Amino acid sequence: MLDAEVARLDCTGLVCPLPVIKLSKAIKAAVPGAVIELLATDPGSVADLEAFEKQTGHKVLERSEANGVFRFLVQRKK
Amino acid sequence: MDEEVKRILYVQTTGTELPERSATVFFLAASGAAMDIEVGIFFTQLGPTLLQRGVPETLRVRKGGVTLGHFMEQARDIGVKFYVCQPSLELTELKMQDLIDGVEMIGGAAFNSMALDADRVICF
Repeated sequence: MLDAEVARLDCTGLVCPLPVIKLSKAIKAAVPGAVIELLATDPGSVADLEAFEKQTGHKVLERSEANGVFRFLVQRKK
Repeated sequence: MDEEVKRILYVQTTGTELPERSATVFFLAASGAAMDIEVGIFFTQLGPTLLQRGVPETLRVRKGGVTLGHFMEQARDIGVKFYVCQPSLELTELKMQDLIDGVEMIGGAAFNSMALDADRVICF
């Protein structure tokens, strides 16, 4: 799954609305199909990513949490 | 008009008199724009005082916190549009040249039309 094309977006320590804003910018800068790994500590980011996916159509391929850090893999739609 | 694009129109009625009520509209608007929603904020009643030159960089949303300008720029940077209405400028004794750049003046008819075109109108 993970390959060189996965760009990491570290939003740890940032609060709402920054993770979603930074994700939006990163997605716009990415090529269709590209995957972005988003790291966040904002507990609101779980619900926000769900809403982001529903609204924009960019897919959240994976979501997990370890030691208070949420990790999402988001793929830009084609 | 692209029917696929969702639109939200926010209405901000509070101004510099209550700093703790000044930033939420910019958070929510910026989040919406990040989700590819077309977002505008209409400043009416006391809302236009937030747009006065010199206010964004000095108004602190909470003691010791960052300035309102930080949240305002975040919203503008991602494409949120700012609108103001003429009568509320009179109410707050402001003129367009007293306001920060990039604010569009609209009238009541334009506001109502925007409200009908929007998928949701949210008032603060």
